Amino acid sequence: MSIAILKAPSVSVASVDVARTLRMGLLLGGVGVYLAAVGILAMFNERWIIVGLLTLGYGVLGLVYLVAGMISARRGAGLMTALASGILSGAIAGLTVSVLGLVIGPFSLQSVFTQLNGKLADSLALGLAPLSGLLVMLGIGAVCGAIGAILRFTPLTVRRPLVIAALVTVTAGLFQELIQIMLQDGPLTPVQDLIYEWEGLTAQGAAIVFVVAFILALIGVQISRRRARAAAAKANADSGQSLTKMGMIFLVLVLLPLMGGNYIGQVLLLVGLYILMGMGLNLEVGLAGLLDLGFVGFFAVGAYVTALLTANHPMAILHLNFWVAMPIAVLASVVVGVLFGIPVLGVRGDYLAVATMGLGEIVRVLVVSDAAKPLLGGPLGITQVPKPAIFGYGLTTPIQLYYLTLVASLVAGLIAWRLEGSRLGRAWMALRDDEDVAAALGIDRIECKLLAYGLGAAFAGLAGSIFAVMLASVYPSSFQLVVSINVLALIIVGGMGSLPGVAIGSLVLIGLPELLREFGEYRYLFYGVALIFMMQFRPEGLMPSKVRKRELHAAMGETSEPAVPTARAA
Amino acid sequence: MPYLEVDDLHVGYGQIAALKGVSLSVEKGQLVTLVGANGAGKTTLLRTISGLLRPSRGSVNFDGQRIDAMEAHKIAGTGLVQVPEGRRIFGRLTVSENLELGAFTRNDKAEIMADKERMMTVFPRLKERFRQLAGTLSGGEQQMVATARALMARPKALLMDEPTMGLSPIMVEQVFDTIQTIHAQGVTILLVEQNALMALSVADYGYVLESGHIVLEGQGDALVDDERVRHAYLG
Repeated sequence: MSIAILKAPSVSVASVDVARTLRMGLLLGGVGVYLAAVGILAMFNERWIIVGLLTLGYGVLGLVYLVAGMISARRGAGLMTALASGILSGAIAGLTVSVLGLVIGPFSLQSVFTQLNGKLADSLALGLAPLSGLLVMLGIGAVCGAIGAILRFTPLTVRRPLVIAALVTVTAGLFQELIQIMLQDGPLTPVQDLIYEWEGLTAQGAAIVFVVAFILALIGVQISRRRARAAAAKANADSGQSLTKMGMIFLVLVLLPLMGGNYIGQVLLLVGLYILMGMGLNLEVGLAGLLDLGFVGFFAVGAYVTALLTANHPMAILHLNFWVAMPIAVLASVVVGVLFGIPVLGVRGDYLAVATMGLGEIVRVLVVSDAAKPLLGGPLGITQVPKPAIFGYGLTTPIQLYYLTLVASLVAGLIAWRLEGSRLGRAWMALRDDEDVAAALGIDRIECKLLAYGLGAAFAGLAGSIFAVMLASVYPSSFQLVVSINVLALIIVGGMGSLPGVAIGSLVLIGLPELLREFGEYRYLFYGVALIFMMQFRPEGLMPSKVRKRELHAAMGETSEPAVPTARAA
Repeated sequence: MPYLEVDDLHVGYGQIAALKGVSLSVEKGQLVTLVGANGAGKTTLLRTISGLLRPSRGSVNFDGQRIDAMEAHKIAGTGLVQVPEGRRIFGRLTVSENLELGAFTRNDKAEIMADKERMMTVFPRLKERFRQLAGTLSGGEQQMVATARALMARPKALLMDEPTMGLSPIMVEQVFDTIQTIHAQGVTILLVEQNALMALSVADYGYVLESGHIVLEGQGDALVDDERVRHAYLG
């Protein structure tokens, strides 16, 4: 069927770059084959997005074909040519995936890739007879490829709402369970009945969600365009806009657990703790340029000090109230932060990352060591850390603790925000850009660096303190290197140096994987892929700070006049 | 006693000696230049004076204080400020923020603002670039930022390290004009330059540095006419 389409506009087909189109088709087909071979496809096929119509697995395959069409369609070549290459490349991708389904049985591929079983072969043939399955898959690939090619030619004002609407629809299908819980038993029950079935969207529900999201996104894109134009005319509109954004994020963070129940509360609590840590590390890395991979050490200190001062446990040295213990824990983290900073004062850049990683590991190894066992409980940790209470009202559920974290984040955020604009903040930035010159301008390097470590550690200590009461216990296994890496990743994804970015980064990198728990190990695969794409296409982060945005504009904007060497000056 | 005095200074990088007993002095209000070829030790000397390197022997005195063991940021606090080689402005900050950082040792906010305005009149080009990232400026403009940043500290003395490096002939002229303007306003300047002819012709006094030793010194115009200087540096 794709061949027929290819033949029709014969003039333009001649100008299709066949080799490139084939290559793209095969490449994306390879992606499909990979997804099948590692078992993602099989797992995704168990999940409906639209009940009875589209599973997540087929959705992903469709997306792969669409991308094939999109990248092989070149704008310069004209619509018909682009369409032809899109169709060809999508079909090739579809063919590649189908062929995999055909060879699974005869070549007993299952002995190599356990996921390549008869069931998968069946689903790759779309439940049809092998040959007709292949043809239909080819057709699907061609259609998706064509859509991809057309998308390439759609103006951004329409394309972006389309993509957003598609994303919203998939999200609505993917998180149907959570959303249904939120809609249940309230005034919104009719909405639930309208768009959902028991395990996914209904076809009409998907259509409604898509159309509504599309219209809203269309309006949103128009508004933000107009606002960008206004902002270009008026220099300082930027801060107002980021304030609105922050307000929106805040509103979502306040309301979400109320609607979503304890599970959402639990996830958000973790997100909140990472926001706190992110704000702390942001002071060190984002402002002062001190790449710190031992950040988890401060988190551990906050948690252990809180446990030691409050727990109903033989290891505990005191049985203080949480509200007394928490400031002590924060203070202890500051002290450790400063002590931590001293040995690495003269270490810069990449070496600093390695050195701090070592320091962070030392904290963890010390905690599990036999030497510290009588004090800290070794691998068994310290248990029975009591929950805090306000005026006799206990903060016991995850949602209540979440609100505690939210308040703590707000206070911490305010402090971080004030620090950024302060004299110290500016000194940190100077230090980050050029240490020697900063010193020559009168900035005390040692003081500034130690302050960065100490204040950064304070935020992590606060997070650790809440973490201890959240788990009601502390174990060394909670303080692995991966915590430091996660915090670093979330501030990079959110936008280095940006406070709302920290919140967004934490929601995306900590919240989403928690919500996608049912996909098990695979979510880390997506995590990795998402990070790579992020760094490729939006290196400034999801919500960059003004400074980073400026840098980006500087890179693309006017080029400075080249300096002429003074060869003949003398 | 001279305003800035370097006495028998020895500085090395590991086993390699870069300065082998350098002595020089700058009187208050003077413009003194230090010329020499690449690798003679000019930058090492300036970095040592501003506290970024430690001498193995010898002393540095400024304004009646011994400063060779002081930390760099404290030396900046005494009013001895460096305009570093290769400009080294904070490229990721705006011109305005660069200037504010120059005044880091000062606390008089209103005066700092007034000085910022003043810099705009000294360097009109910077006025247009005020909110721009300093890294996007041309070489000549970056030199203006570096100089203005140093002036923001209201320095008693300026150490300028090759301010004309990599600039076009027109910009070189402008930089020298600026140096003379600053000097005329009473700022003591120690100017390190490879561009010997121009540097010596504006200086009150000059030194010639060669592989870690001062080999010649004298009045600026006298050195310009000196046969040995002509031979070695002016071709």
